[in-house]
Amino acid sequence: MVSRSTGVTDAWSRALNWLSGVDASLLGLCLASIGVVFAGGLVQVSFGAYSMTIVEAWQAVFDPQVLFDLEVWQVLLLGGQVNTDVLLNPLAWDSLIVDASLPEMSKQSLIVWNIRLPRVLVGVLVGMNLAVSGAIFQAVTRNELASPFILGVSSGAGLMILLTLVVFSGLSTLLPLIASTGGAVAFLIVYAIAWKNGTSPVRLVLAGVIVSTVFGSLQTAMFFFADDIGIVQSAIAWTTGSLTGTDWEQVRMALPWTVVAMGLSLFSSRQLNVLLLGENTAKSLGMSVEKVRFALSGVAVLAASASIAVAGIVGFIGLIVPHMVRNIVGSDYRKLVVGCVFAGPALMVGADVGARLALNPTQIPVGIVTGLVGGPYFLYLMRKQQQMGEI
Amino acid sequence: MSRNQPRTNGTDAESTNGAVTGSPSNQSEASLTGEGLVLTYPSGDSPIIDDETITAEPGAVTALVGPNGSGKSTLLKGLANQLTPEAGSVLLDGQDIQTLDTKAIARKLGLLSQESTSPNSITVEDLVYHGRYPHRGFFDSVTEEDEAAVERAIDLAGCGHLRDREVGSLSGGQKQLAWIAMVLAQDTDVLLLDEPTTFLDLHHQLEVMEIIETLRDESDITIVVVLHDIEQAARLADRMVALKDGEIQARGQPEDVVTERLLADVFEIEAEVSVTPHGPRINPIRARHDGDEHAVDDDSTGAERPEEVVAE
Repeated sequence: MVSRSTGVTDAWSRALNWLSGVDASLLGLCLASIGVVFAGGLVQVSFGAYSMTIVEAWQAVFDPQVLFDLEVWQVLLLGGQVNTDVLLNPLAWDSLIVDASLPEMSKQSLIVWNIRLPRVLVGVLVGMNLAVSGAIFQAVTRNELASPFILGVSSGAGLMILLTLVVFSGLSTLLPLIASTGGAVAFLIVYAIAWKNGTSPVRLVLAGVIVSTVFGSLQTAMFFFADDIGIVQSAIAWTTGSLTGTDWEQVRMALPWTVVAMGLSLFSSRQLNVLLLGENTAKSLGMSVEKVRFALSGVAVLAASASIAVAGIVGFIGLIVPHMVRNIVGSDYRKLVVGCVFAGPALMVGADVGARLALNPTQIPVGIVTGLVGGPYFLYLMRKQQQMGEI
Repeated sequence: MSRNQPRTNGTDAESTNGAVTGSPSNQSEASLTGEGLVLTYPSGDSPIIDDETITAEPGAVTALVGPNGSGKSTLLKGLANQLTPEAGSVLLDGQDIQTLDTKAIARKLGLLSQESTSPNSITVEDLVYHGRYPHRGFFDSVTEEDEAAVERAIDLAGCGHLRDREVGSLSGGQKQLAWIAMVLAQDTDVLLLDEPTTFLDLHHQLEVMEIIETLRDESDITIVVVLHDIEQAARLADRMVALKDGEIQARGQPEDVVTERLLADVFEIEAEVSVTPHGPRINPIRARHDGDEHAVDDDSTGAERPEEVVAE
């Protein structure tokens, strides 16, 4: 941020000013969301095949031996140990991270940190990605029914998932990458179809519907050729979204993209606000509407793809969370995006508690729970709010 | 400023304008010229405006008038770079607007569209701050300059009492004041307004007119305004341009443009025009229909009026 003021006191007064400007409802929403994530996370780490009490789980989560051990964090977040010998030698950076295993820790800590906590963290990342992605697409298309998947991302990813599982089963280790690439490619196809001396929100949405329909049909056709119930179940888990079996590897996969996408989204909130004033006004204010629209869509697709890569196609979060947040903080994207970063994880982690524990020991895809919880809540909002759907 | 200037026809104004563009250091009076503009909507095939040249007199108010569908709003959109001309060019301070960066244009030229939409829940102040968009980079936070410009704009538009209200809760007239404040916050040398008084009650119509008058009297801003009401246009403008069927039929000072003959030719009404201290006053009598006394009028068509004036 460029600030003309340099004095420390000035900066301090600006910070205070900023704090007082923070909306009380936004602050409340964020705190409540953090509370939900913590409660959901605590339930997730306590229950399972190896049960422990809440207190034990709490102690394991805040085990100082783990929490303040740099070695542990390196293994969890980087997948190995940083080889300090080659740090200053860029030519040898391919051996920068060497394999290492977790140091000794108690059984509780190991279960919590190695098995149960990553699932919660993946849920957090997926939730914020989908919520912010949906919020961006709602502004870009100026359509209250937009979700991260409105421009064909889910259908492209779904088709590639089915193709990989049914036809090219040899590539299934690359499934996350293939799925998110498929989503991004479908988005580009939609954009190309909608483009005619520029696009418009309506053209984009229509092109999205067309591409989704075609790809959806192909995807359904693929199911027809699947001869193994295991493959079908796996395909359903991927196409409805599931956090089953997620590990630190998924955290490592999604985290960098999430950081990039969230950062760009937060910085873009003013562009989103101007875009909401309509194309004519945005243009007369000097915005290159087409460029900004494409760039913002790209950020939203990046966020959606990151979540698809680790959790498959989780529906409804991206549609409903922006609405929930808008109902609380209003349609100013400076607040809305921040609200989504917090509320998305809350809904996702909450839904995953149901997905993992409701039919214990059977785990159902979290996408089923988000649909079951999100649908009625959406209806409730619709009936309660006269102006529902107004961006 | 220019009410007392001798009457200038189109060609004269362009040469005056050439002198201004010759000294680009003169920031205060910006020039805007459309040369040989051919404007077509992407959906339509025949041009709405076909080969017209128009100059906004620097530092003055130019009003575009004409009946419905005469192309006055289209011409304004062309001047504002909202519509890319098929032929011809728009020169902003002597530079072809097509070669300029969009933000650079928006720092010099502001446009208030006829219908503007915004989310209902944003406040007037936030809306006005959006006017600073062309002055801010992607990562820039609000500067003191931005704050000062917003204060000035809100003050000038007289919507200080509305600043914390949500736009959705305002009346049509109050909304228009908020939008005007937004365009003013853009702090441009040229301001284009598309029917800023249409659909407003009389009080707000007069408020908008007063804002424009203040701008003319207290700054060197160049204003082009499309107005539906000829009387209002005559009262407000230093120069008037009358359009019909996409062609400029007359231009000049209000008292020379607003004549009984022009009203008959361009607006197809029979009316009496009387001169008052507030400008020409029009007393409409009845609508003219095809064939009404046209032959007589056409015989007496002035030399500077093109022949196409004849209504079909």
